[in-house]
Amino acid sequence: MDLHLFSQYLLSGIVIGIIYSLMALGITFIYGIMKMINWSMGEFYMIGSYVQYALLASVLGWDRWYLALPLSMASVFVLGVVVQRFLLRPMYVGGIERRDEYATIITIALMVLFRNLAIVLGGPNQYSPKDYAKPTTLLTLPISGNRVVALVGALVLLALFYVLTRRTWLGRAFRGAAQNRVGIQTAGVDVLRLDMLAFGVGVALAAAAGALLAPDFLVYPENGAISTFKGFEIIVIGGLGSIMGSVVGGLLLGVIEALGSVFLSPAYKDLYGFVLLIALLAVRPTGLFGERERTV
Amino acid sequence: MMRRFLVPCLLAAAAALLVATPALAQGPVKIGVLTPLSPPGDAAAGQFIVRGAKMAADEINGPGGVLGGRKIELVIEDDSGTPEKGVAGLRKLASQDKVSAVIGQFHSSVMEAVQDLAEQLKIPVFSTQASAKGITEKHLTYTFRTHVIDPVRVQAWNRFIQQQGFKRVALVAENTDYGIGLSDETKKQFASSGIKAELKSIIFDRAVVDLTPQLLEIKSWKPDLVINIGVGTPAYLIIKQASDVGLFPATPMLVSYDMPARPEFWKNLGDKGAFTTFIAYYHPTMKLTPRGEAFRTRYRAEFKEEPVYGALNGYAQIMLIADAINLAKSDKPDDIVKALLANTFTGWNGTITFPRGEGPYWQQWTPPMLFMQYTKAEMPFAEAKIVFPPDLKTGDLMLHKH
Repeated sequence: MDLHLFSQYLLSGIVIGIIYSLMALGITFIYGIMKMINWSMGEFYMIGSYVQYALLASVLGWDRWYLALPLSMASVFVLGVVVQRFLLRPMYVGGIERRDEYATIITIALMVLFRNLAIVLGGPNQYSPKDYAKPTTLLTLPISGNRVVALVGALVLLALFYVLTRRTWLGRAFRGAAQNRVGIQTAGVDVLRLDMLAFGVGVALAAAAGALLAPDFLVYPENGAISTFKGFEIIVIGGLGSIMGSVVGGLLLGVIEALGSVFLSPAYKDLYGFVLLIALLAVRPTGLFGERERTV
Repeated sequence: MMRRFLVPCLLAAAAALLVATPALAQGPVKIGVLTPLSPPGDAAAGQFIVRGAKMAADEINGPGGVLGGRKIELVIEDDSGTPEKGVAGLRKLASQDKVSAVIGQFHSSVMEAVQDLAEQLKIPVFSTQASAKGITEKHLTYTFRTHVIDPVRVQAWNRFIQQQGFKRVALVAENTDYGIGLSDETKKQFASSGIKAELKSIIFDRAVVDLTPQLLEIKSWKPDLVINIGVGTPAYLIIKQASDVGLFPATPMLVSYDMPARPEFWKNLGDKGAFTTFIAYYHPTMKLTPRGEAFRTRYRAEFKEEPVYGALNGYAQIMLIADAINLAKSDKPDDIVKALLANTFTGWNGTITFPRGEGPYWQQWTPPMLFMQYTKAEMPFAEAKIVFPPDLKTGDLMLHKH
């Protein structure tokens, strides 16, 4: 076995795995606070990529992608807050039974709506912003500059997210709400406002992934499907609600897919993640870092 | 007294109705365009086909239409590149809209599903750009095609490989009827025609976005040529990612269809598209039939760009269906089929007939193929060189070693 080539496969899997983690982080974070699965996560990824492309094509010019990125995240954050406030919050105040399930159904409807709106407004064609950086080499791996930017961007965002949740009051409130939603209310925290912010942050992370990956994976109405797909695999592998689980799960998935597609068959690349998922669930149903739920 | 007039009045009214009814029944002749207009299908392709079809309908309806005054009405349906939507679309076109014929099929997997239903419902359906040989190999009465078939495409690229002296050829194919069909056919013809070259074939899932490990594997195999058998987004991703890992343009790449001829090719790839070789069926410098020349002139004036093959073929198919309707003096599908089999038609680049040949050469007309190359970034399609076949070439294949 050519070690040089093997190291290239491994590195390519690690890079894509960290990028996948960013996609999973948003889903797991929203689940942690609101206990509901956001099936339209991929569509926020897609909107992030379209906003990034539009900003670069019309206002900022192709070089200032680093300015477009936070603007794209901010606009999707606002969209997420609005969506949560007007479409999802009603489930949480009405005293409805099975509110998480109704909220989940709404996100499925949003998925269909956003995807088709994108086709109508943007057309079905693919777009691509110009490369963010020139192709380069990462250790033994020849790699696109865009992917290095996406990797660094993902690591920075993961680090920022860690700081937010561990070192700020808001982060502590988020963690409290994730542990015990009723308990946090008795501590005087407005849990409904927290929901809005959590949803906004979660979808902004997906938008960041979309914006960072726009030149590599292209901008088109269905490009979010991959992030929903991978994101869910990762949160189940890593454990629902666990940030560490998203990172480790993402890495595992990226590496297994890369190696499986080369040493087994590339036609079944998507299958390897699911085989890992099933094997893991059989042994550890809560996922790698998940916890058994405690409901009061 | 009134009663004496009543009966004649009633008879006159009945007579007037009898005369009027056939005139009321002379509504438009409907032709369906069932084509991908949204993802996951190649919607850009479908849009060009619709453009050409609409231009044909306008050209026919201007002087009055068909059958002495009936207008052609196009009914456009989106198959999204999926067999289920294709079948649902055809059913609607046949039962609700009562079309006389259907054109526009682009994806082979969709066409294969749609044609079976068309055979049951007895509606002629045309493959406009779906090239799997199985489509005409089934020998269905209501299936017609005016596009290349994959065995002929493979024959062409095998001759190209022999001419260029390539010894190691890598195929990267999507896991659809198109991709797997071309991969299998290449293996078969390599064996049967005694080509002295090695072949490595990789089949990937069309839904996958990251092909880096596969492209690294191919790069380490050191091929002389990579054949890109993706359609739509995967075709772009292969070029981008092959460029990023340093496989292309150091190793020449052949795209299996005319996607690089489209206006958005350079916008999506920038410099990475330079040195791409691809198969096209139309070039701005080609001599066309008078009908084709007139279409080209109108297209350039209206859209300010070169016509794309899909538009030319969509146009030609509507025109020949209209011709068949006029020859048959009827808009009934069975009469149209008889007229199609018995007559010669004018296409945009030649004369079209539908003989019932052996194997896939059944009700099939194959246009000639050109292998073109962009030798620098942002090269307009009109300036691309024709590198194969030898009798039509305008330049040699340019290799670009780093």
